[in-house]
Amino acid sequence: MLLISCPHCGQRNSNEFTFNGEVVTRPGPDPDPASWRRYLYMKTNAAGWQEERWFHVSGCRRFLMIERNQDTNEIRMVRDYGDRR
Amino acid sequence: MSRYRLDPQPGEVIDRSREVGFTWNGKRFVGYQGDTIASALAANGVRVLSRSFKYHRPRAMLTASYHDPNAMVQVGDDPNVRGAHHLVEEGMTVTSQNTWPSLAFDVKTANRIVGRFLSPGFYYKTFISPRWLWPWYQKVLSRFVAGGSVTLNHQPAKFDHRYAHADVLVAGGGPSGMAAAIAAADAGASVILAEEEHQIGGHLRWGDTQARDDLNELRIGILTRSNIEVMTNAVVAGRYDHNWVSIVQRSMDHVEERLVQVRAKTLVVAAGTLERPYVFEGNDLPGVMLSTAARRLICLYGIRPGNRAVVLTANGSGDAVVADLKRAGIEIVRTLDARKGETVVAASGGKGVKQVIDSSGATHSADLLVTATGWTTPTSLLNMAGDRPVYNKRAARYLPSTLPDNVMATGGMVGDGTTQDLIGHGSAAGAEAARRAAGEPPSGIPDLLIEEHLELYRSTTHGFVDFSEDVSSQDLVSAATEGYDTMELAKRYTTVGMGPVQGKIEAVNAVAVHGEAIGASLLETSTTTWRPPYAPIRLGTLAGRKYEPTRYSAMQPWHEANDATPLLAGQWVRPDHYGDPAAEVNTVREGVGIIDVSPLGKIDLRGADVSKLLEFVYVNRWSKLDVGKVRYGVMCGEDGVIIDDGVTGRFGPDHYLMTTTSGGAGGVWNWLDDWLQTGFPEWDVKMTAVTDGWASINVAGPRSRDLVSRLTDIDLRPDSFGYMEVRTGTVDGFSNCFIWRIGFTGELSYEIHVPANHGLEVWEALLAEGADLGVKAFGVEAQRIMRLEKGHFIVGQDTDGLTQGHGVGVDWAIKIDKDDFAGKPELVFQAESGDYPRLVAIQTEDPGIVPLEASQIIDGDANLVGRITSSRMSPTMNRSICLGQVEPNHATPGQALSIRLPNGSTVQAHVMEHHAHFDPEGTRVRV
Amino acid sequence: MWDHHDLNSAYDVVIIGGGVHGLATAYYLARNHGITNVAVLEKSYIGSGGSGRNTAIIRSNYLTTEGSRFYNRSVTLYENLAEDLNFNVMFEQRGHMTLAHSDSSLRTMRWRAEVNKLEGIDSEVIGPDEIKKLAPYLDISDRPRYPIMGALWHPPGGIVRHDAVVWGYARGAAGYGVHIHQETELTGIKVTDGKVTGVQTSRGPIATSTVINCTAGWSSLISAMAGVTLPITTRPLQAAVTEPVKKFLHPVIVSGSLHTYVSQTSRGELVFGASVDPFASYSTRGSLEFTTGLATHVLELMPSISNMRLLRQWAGLCDMTPDFAPIIGPTHVEGFYLDVGWGTYGFKAGPVAGETVADMIASGRPGRLIKPFGLDRFEKGELTAEKGAAAVGH
Repeated sequence: MLLISCPHCGQRNSNEFTFNGEVVTRPGPDPDPASWRRYLYMKTNAAGWQEERWFHVSGCRRFLMIERNQDTNEIRMVRDYGDRR
Repeated sequence: MSRYRLDPQPGEVIDRSREVGFTWNGKRFVGYQGDTIASALAANGVRVLSRSFKYHRPRAMLTASYHDPNAMVQVGDDPNVRGAHHLVEEGMTVTSQNTWPSLAFDVKTANRIVGRFLSPGFYYKTFISPRWLWPWYQKVLSRFVAGGSVTLNHQPAKFDHRYAHADVLVAGGGPSGMAAAIAAADAGASVILAEEEHQIGGHLRWGDTQARDDLNELRIGILTRSNIEVMTNAVVAGRYDHNWVSIVQRSMDHVEERLVQVRAKTLVVAAGTLERPYVFEGNDLPGVMLSTAARRLICLYGIRPGNRAVVLTANGSGDAVVADLKRAGIEIVRTLDARKGETVVAASGGKGVKQVIDSSGATHSADLLVTATGWTTPTSLLNMAGDRPVYNKRAARYLPSTLPDNVMATGGMVGDGTTQDLIGHGSAAGAEAARRAAGEPPSGIPDLLIEEHLELYRSTTHGFVDFSEDVSSQDLVSAATEGYDTMELAKRYTTVGMGPVQGKIEAVNAVAVHGEAIGASLLETSTTTWRPPYAPIRLGTLAGRKYEPTRYSAMQPWHEANDATPLLAGQWVRPDHYGDPAAEVNTVREGVGIIDVSPLGKIDLRGADVSKLLEFVYVNRWSKLDVGKVRYGVMCGEDGVIIDDGVTGRFGPDHYLMTTTSGGAGGVWNWLDDWLQTGFPEWDVKMTAVTDGWASINVAGPRSRDLVSRLTDIDLRPDSFGYMEVRTGTVDGFSNCFIWRIGFTGELSYEIHVPANHGLEVWEALLAEGADLGVKAFGVEAQRIMRLEKGHFIVGQDTDGLTQGHGVGVDWAIKIDKDDFAGKPELVFQAESGDYPRLVAIQTEDPGIVPLEASQIIDGDANLVGRITSSRMSPTMNRSICLGQVEPNHATPGQALSIRLPNGSTVQAHVMEHHAHFDPEGTRVRV
Repeated sequence: MWDHHDLNSAYDVVIIGGGVHGLATAYYLARNHGITNVAVLEKSYIGSGGSGRNTAIIRSNYLTTEGSRFYNRSVTLYENLAEDLNFNVMFEQRGHMTLAHSDSSLRTMRWRAEVNKLEGIDSEVIGPDEIKKLAPYLDISDRPRYPIMGALWHPPGGIVRHDAVVWGYARGAAGYGVHIHQETELTGIKVTDGKVTGVQTSRGPIATSTVINCTAGWSSLISAMAGVTLPITTRPLQAAVTEPVKKFLHPVIVSGSLHTYVSQTSRGELVFGASVDPFASYSTRGSLEFTTGLATHVLELMPSISNMRLLRQWAGLCDMTPDFAPIIGPTHVEGFYLDVGWGTYGFKAGPVAGETVADMIASGRPGRLIKPFGLDRFEKGELTAEKGAAAVGH
């Protein structure tokens, strides 16, 4: 049960959130099948730090950008997805 | 008083004024309040408590603590009770486990005779053939189970959960743990102190007068500080990511056990040390026990553990037990001092130890053999925090190495010393833990000294290493010889450490013995990973109470009162039918019926850019939907797969209401939030989920207009209110309602949405007002039949995880020339390929046969070409009707199909022209 | 059982991963094709990964024709494995029961049964009364939140001693001369002009033109060494075991809706599993919420065992693909092959994967059974239909 510091709600248990995967870049309009399916399916799946999206579904219902280490589950950055840059 | 019970001891925990009666294997015994089952039996001269797993050797107390592998008993219908920890209660029925026909005479001891042939891995090397005997072998194997029994009619006890937040959680209530709790509390922290045994105090409880005085002082310190919460008979079972910690509180008054889940800012582990058995021939005989076991029995329970003792000592505990034994009037036949090079070579006897051979070759007659050969650090919680303990040769035990900042260790786990030394270290740890909990950067604390201790694991003979699994040191040597030469492989092969004690008293001996055999030092071969839980937890405790909310509409009381057969649809309970779904269909098609559709997902959308959102998430166009109009939409994921469908109505220039399937509501809401927040944050759209805010009633049938017009001020004339339109107004006197005309059942219908708290009243009003029209309630089953008659697909039943937008009959809705919308690229690729399954309507040649849903459709060569997805007998058409998915080359109208029924027969059918079996032109909805 | 060898400077085939897949591949390469100049590289001890952590359920009652054919071949191999390896893997065909708690779930069970029957696999949908006869401790009353409506009953399914399978294959392969290198970690893959030319390991380099990735958990990292990207995310899958009690449960029980499975070993312990963790991770530390959730569901199914104690929990790593089917076959790097993406269903497929991968290496082409599982299916949008059942509402 990870402890996630939601920027809007404070420290909350991870079961209030859904995990929405590593950040991927959506292709522009009219992609060819290979590029589109690379976006849909291919993953980096890092064994270390990863930028990923979480959704505080049982809280503020904001999408968050989180930097988490997939080995240790250490979290070093949590931001509202709109403030991710 | 029996000859096994001593005079009152200064530190005893029993109350001699309160007797407790219980039975053991059918015979009645009496003990005292505060006795454990094992100590009460010992007071009555009963020493043998169990028979071992493989060889069925008689076993008696070894550690006299929770982790005693030989003291597992069955209490009533409760298996695997720790007899050396569990307190006796009046009327308890206790029986031994794994013995037949009795504990005294166990037929399975025949195993002992062939025991020398039951080498590790025996099972893998035998029973290979003949194969037909394998089932019989399995039956035989299943008889040898090292455990008690469960019963089918066991009445579950009550369990509970609690959530706690502690600044400092101290695991272990010995001197260091108590000192840490006091220091942390004095530094202002909120403290929880959890102690696995029935009292705090640790080893001070069986110490000398000074130890008991020290204990008293600490105990007063704990009890007088209100910010320390003490839990006894409570074991810290696991430490998980970010200091999420589990505590199992056993034997509470109001529940059987309670699981406490704690988010601890700092965890201080003060688990002390566990005494380790010595490996030698006969080391499992009744009467062979650890020094701490003998001291516990004498000091805590006033038990005389034997009459003539041999003691093997290598440390202070061994020296002290000699004094305790003498004080208890036990004759010390011989004290062997390992520090002088003396040791035990073997013990022998039948049902108990009778003779002991020492390293000088002398034989002593004794009925008690006490060993004090060393300590094991219970590092489990630290392992769970990521530590890999390092073996310290000088101390002859593993010590913690690297801990995260929010976990600390104190006391015997990290070093040695006097009671004052341990208290000093505990205090420093507690104060530091409080600082860290307050957010201060971590700083170190002075170490405890590490005293020298002999490395004593195995004598010159072979004996048991794992008492529960009956694994001997010889087994470990054999495993090494056979090639299982790492500890992990040897553990799995021999099953050492896999019993109820999970390695606490056997792992280090196993590593030492195995290391000997492969010629590697303990430093190289590390102990295997410690996994949670530290102590076993009942399934009931983990489950706690059952909270499973059920969702139901405002009209549920009426459904129940009118004998609705319930249908569980996800979290909802809905009326499936009221006795005769076919009759309900007829009522709707011929007159009027009402159905409760409140679980329909509803999402209120407001803002200037709502139509942009709809254009993006749906395959169709929405920019030109007028106010007052309703449109059906299909939603696809980015892989083109259909994820939901439903109607959306426009209520105002910037106000829409979207509906979803009831099961899909939550998912769609999240989907929309995702696009709005991360895809198009610049759009002006505000969303509110309003599923529960509206009670929804679909009034359907040729007479529906007549009925609804009696209850609303809205003008229902067809020229004013056409098909696929929405109006707001008053219903049954309640304002702010809305009605739209949609056509799921294929009949003229008005779907009424009223604020949920008025739902029941409006429902009842419709039934009252429509009595002369013959109105009846209809349920989900009737609705399913009617939608199937009309060929409407259900997402997730007629479509699956691969069904993309094209091929289900909604191509007319897919506006592929929109710029960008969810699923567009894949829908383009799908259209280009053309090679995808088609959803088609199917009718069997024999109208009376209703193929079971999921029946497979096969071609002439018995290849699979599709399946039936929906199937019913239609009361309207008096014949069976189906929808199914078929390969594209089998989708032509008129195409003959063979359906394989589950009973093995094959029936003929054909593809229909339209999806709708009934009224394909859709005239009935448009009247 | 198997010897320790020095690393040769070259091998014909280098297999990454000393679990059931890697060892079975090595075994069948040697036994069926006489290809013995093979190295299996295992970074820890054999069977330390998924092979040592799974709940050892064997079955072939899959949803699709290609799936059930594939796993059925594995069941057949398991039935003969003890004799083939001369090592008792203790395959107990107890029967496998998948419970349905809703209409749609029952429909999916029937779908699977019908597809299975057409493949000659013994599967049938049974009702609550028959379920009760087969597993008396299951609660078939109305008391549960989601009562049992029926089940898919698959008699050939069962449990096996997973360590024994690993050891049996290792011993068998070693017997043919295959080198099993434990404590040997892959650190790089050499690719020149689009072809594999060798690997780097913690014990030195090896020249080879054929490398097979038979790992779970680290398959993305290893494939990246060869410049191959995979559609995989790694999720922990947790499991737990109770203390032993006298036998009361014979078949393997699975509940799709409750995401729970349970079996009782011949030692008397209950072994449980559930679905993968709710977020991706490479941690095998386990969580408390897994055990609490699991216990809740197990007691829904069998309320009278609330006094049984959970003894130990652990986790393994599962490589999840978008369509619940593995990735077997060649890649765009010549000589670099995949046998990955095994999700939560890898152990039961060990024998058939080993056999078919060995065939593929020997013949140079993926055979009929594994053709549907190529990596290029994602680019082509031809996901396998096992995904079909995943989206069906419960």
